[in-house]
Amino acid sequence: MSSKRISKELNDLRKDPITSFSAGPVGDDLFHWQASIMGPPDSPYAGGVFFLSIHFPTDYPFKPPKISFTTKIYHPNINANGNICLDILKDQWSPALTLSKVLLSICSLLTDANPDDPLVPEIAHIYKTDRSKYETTAREWTKKFAV
Amino acid sequence: MEIDGNTLIFIIIILFLFFSSPGGDGVSSQYEYNQLQTLKSIYQNEFDTFKNLTSTTNFRNITGLKLSYEDVQGNPDLNATYPLKGKVYDHWFTNQTFQLLPDEVMNMINTDIWNLPYNSKNLFPPNITSTVMGSIKLHSNNKYEKINMPVPRFYEPPKDFSDNTPPWGETYVTEWPSYGELHNVTFDSGELNIQISHIDKVTRQINSNKKYKFNKEDENWKLLSLKIDFFDKAENEKHSINSLAIYDIRRGRILSMTQSAKFHSIFALPHYLNFENNDENNNDTELIFNESKQLLIDYWNASNYIDTLTMGNLEGAYDNAYFKCEFMTFLQLEPWNQYTKEQLKLVNEELNWPLGRPANLSVVPPVKITKGLLYSPDCGVLLNMENVKGPRYELKLRTIRTHLLAGVVLIATEIYLLLRQMQHTNTPSSVNKISFYCFSMMNLVDGSLATLYFIASSVIPELYLPLVISAFASFILASIFETRYLISIYASQINEQYVGVLTLLRGSTAENDEERPVVIPDEASISSSLYGRFFFMLIIFTFLILSSTSWPRQIRMIFEYSAIFILNSYWIPQIFRNAVKGIPSRRRRRRDSNTVMTRRQNKTPLLWKFIIGTTIIRALPVIYVFTYSSNVFRHHKDVRFAVLLSLWLLFQITMLYTQDILGSRWFLPRHAIPEGYSYFKAISSQHLMEHGQTSEVNTVDCSICMSEIPVYVEELPETHKVDQHSYMVTPCNHIFHTSCLENWMSYKLQCPVCRAPLPPL
Repeated sequence: MSSKRISKELNDLRKDPITSFSAGPVGDDLFHWQASIMGPPDSPYAGGVFFLSIHFPTDYPFKPPKISFTTKIYHPNINANGNICLDILKDQWSPALTLSKVLLSICSLLTDANPDDPLVPEIAHIYKTDRSKYETTAREWTKKFAV
Repeated sequence: MEIDGNTLIFIIIILFLFFSSPGGDGVSSQYEYNQLQTLKSIYQNEFDTFKNLTSTTNFRNITGLKLSYEDVQGNPDLNATYPLKGKVYDHWFTNQTFQLLPDEVMNMINTDIWNLPYNSKNLFPPNITSTVMGSIKLHSNNKYEKINMPVPRFYEPPKDFSDNTPPWGETYVTEWPSYGELHNVTFDSGELNIQISHIDKVTRQINSNKKYKFNKEDENWKLLSLKIDFFDKAENEKHSINSLAIYDIRRGRILSMTQSAKFHSIFALPHYLNFENNDENNNDTELIFNESKQLLIDYWNASNYIDTLTMGNLEGAYDNAYFKCEFMTFLQLEPWNQYTKEQLKLVNEELNWPLGRPANLSVVPPVKITKGLLYSPDCGVLLNMENVKGPRYELKLRTIRTHLLAGVVLIATEIYLLLRQMQHTNTPSSVNKISFYCFSMMNLVDGSLATLYFIASSVIPELYLPLVISAFASFILASIFETRYLISIYASQINEQYVGVLTLLRGSTAENDEERPVVIPDEASISSSLYGRFFFMLIIFTFLILSSTSWPRQIRMIFEYSAIFILNSYWIPQIFRNAVKGIPSRRRRRRDSNTVMTRRQNKTPLLWKFIIGTTIIRALPVIYVFTYSSNVFRHHKDVRFAVLLSLWLLFQITMLYTQDILGSRWFLPRHAIPEGYSYFKAISSQHLMEHGQTSEVNTVDCSICMSEIPVYVEELPETHKVDQHSYMVTPCNHIFHTSCLENWMSYKLQCPVCRAPLPPL
């Protein structure tokens, strides 16, 4: 069942591609995907391309896919290993969600970080107290790692 | 493995503690050294006196034997200092002038107990290793004078650290300590068990594992060690005696005496083997005296008696002198006259080394003490025993082995039944209907059985192999099969974690509980938490069982009975679970079973084969223990409880059966179970339109698998061949495939589209 649904999602993505990201399987393995997200233009990540690795569990869509950034990114909800702190990837997962919806959520997370539930408290602190410093660092990191 | 500094220090300390324990004899100070030397020299002197003893001379300066019964009669405070003025040391007569026993007791032994003549045709078994049990009666506890037995003062522990020499002289135990062993027997009748073992091997050195053979096969004498325990029925008063004994095979007599700091009874044994004073038997008297004396001398030399004395012996003897009465035990064995001498030898050899000799071991009679008497010279207590018997040790081991094998067969059957049951419930929705607690209870019983078997295997080395096999079998049953099954049950019920029983019963979420974030645990974390719980419960329960063996009888019985009763109520949680899950009656299930989907959903959670088999397997051992008085566990007989327990189990099974026949909620009042929400229904075309479909297409998309669902629309006759059970409509009007939504509902009771709570199935 899970592979059927994953291939359906893949077909949908191919039929109506979305501008802000692209995604597809790595090699022949349907359960291991790679995605790239364009840095949203109204964010300090603008101009960068961020790569993510996606693993679908065998009981997908009942369990959420495992998504992590492979490109380094300076963000309060994403740590150095690329792990993402997003509720729909954990306890708020629903089988009605699809990968494209999740990736769109990640895009909007890049625009609007959630410093109240941070994964990296230091960045969240800077984000809350000195927004311009945060934006400068994020822009520097984007230039350094994602361009 | 890398060893850091701290670990190294720790290991060194452990090794140091391990190797620096005091030397073999336990002496750790000058004072103790002197104590032990004094003891050794006293024993040596007494042994020299003993060697010169004949059947016609009195004891001289031997600890505990300086006074006779007549000496203290009318003069209870007499000092026992050797030599006593006017006491005759050159003669020995079997009367109270010389002996510790009053004439009355002696006559009792002569006429009632040891009344088989020496030259009779009676045959007695040469090996009587066994545990015999019977009843004991108090004859008198204040009729006879108490003979003073002074305790040498050198036994006392040092009063000061600087003390080097132990004090001299003797003290009399006048005030018994108020704690510890009682010095009076206060019950009229009680129970008795005697553990008889042969001293077949002796060590010649302290801390040496090398053993030397003693007690030759063909001799007429055997040296035994007896452990006698007697207590009243309620086990409020317990007496426990360890003593050395001589077994006279020709006459079937056993004489044993306790040994302590105030009574060196090993030297007294030969004189007390004879009470006949007839002149014509005098030759026999001398023979018996000399032979038994030789046996003791042999034992003395073989075991290096003096050199193997340790501080432990000394302290033990001192404690026994203060806390226990000295006892002389006179036992008469029942002859095994059904055998000839050769047969007896054959049976004995076959018991020791089973090779299949032509000896029918199933008819070997029990070791039986027809009559016996316990007398305490220093406490004046006289006790009688009758009909004390038990099987030969080897035969008992055989029976236990057979029982253990039967137990393994039972466990194997249980594993088979469980496997069938697991096959029967191979989908999450069928496992969901099984009670977690039902199987936890069985798991706890099997797990603790495994630990108890393991403990027993270290206690009884002769039964190591069968015990380990049993332990292994029950461990596999408990920790592999049952725990695996528990994990899948737990995983299938995880969505109900925060749902109240009432909600489950009604099948609707009428009262909206505040939503809790539920993290769906994966199998690994469930299994680790369940295994943790399992072992924790197991350890606690095993400790409870083990400590309960030392509780007073009444509390122990309450614990045992209630534990057995509770642990045998394992179907109750399942009855409860059935009622909650609302399984329809058999008739309705049959009617509905034309559709494949409902047949899968509506089968009974437990196989009848499993229910009946498990109940029988689990009840059999308990019923055996409670109804056979000669069971291997020496458990008392209580048929009433066994019947009660069987009835209780029968009641549980009947309940399960009625639930199967009448529907699982038949005993609940109808108003308590309002009609729950039904996920299976036709939809209206208006509803279909809301899903964004035109009236030409009669399908909706399932947002779980993203494929189409044909639906049954009331207004459209062409859709009426669609099975209404193939899709589910949530209360929030979202439509999913039945398998998709059921699968999701085993994780979370929440609508995948709008996150509205879902009523449980």
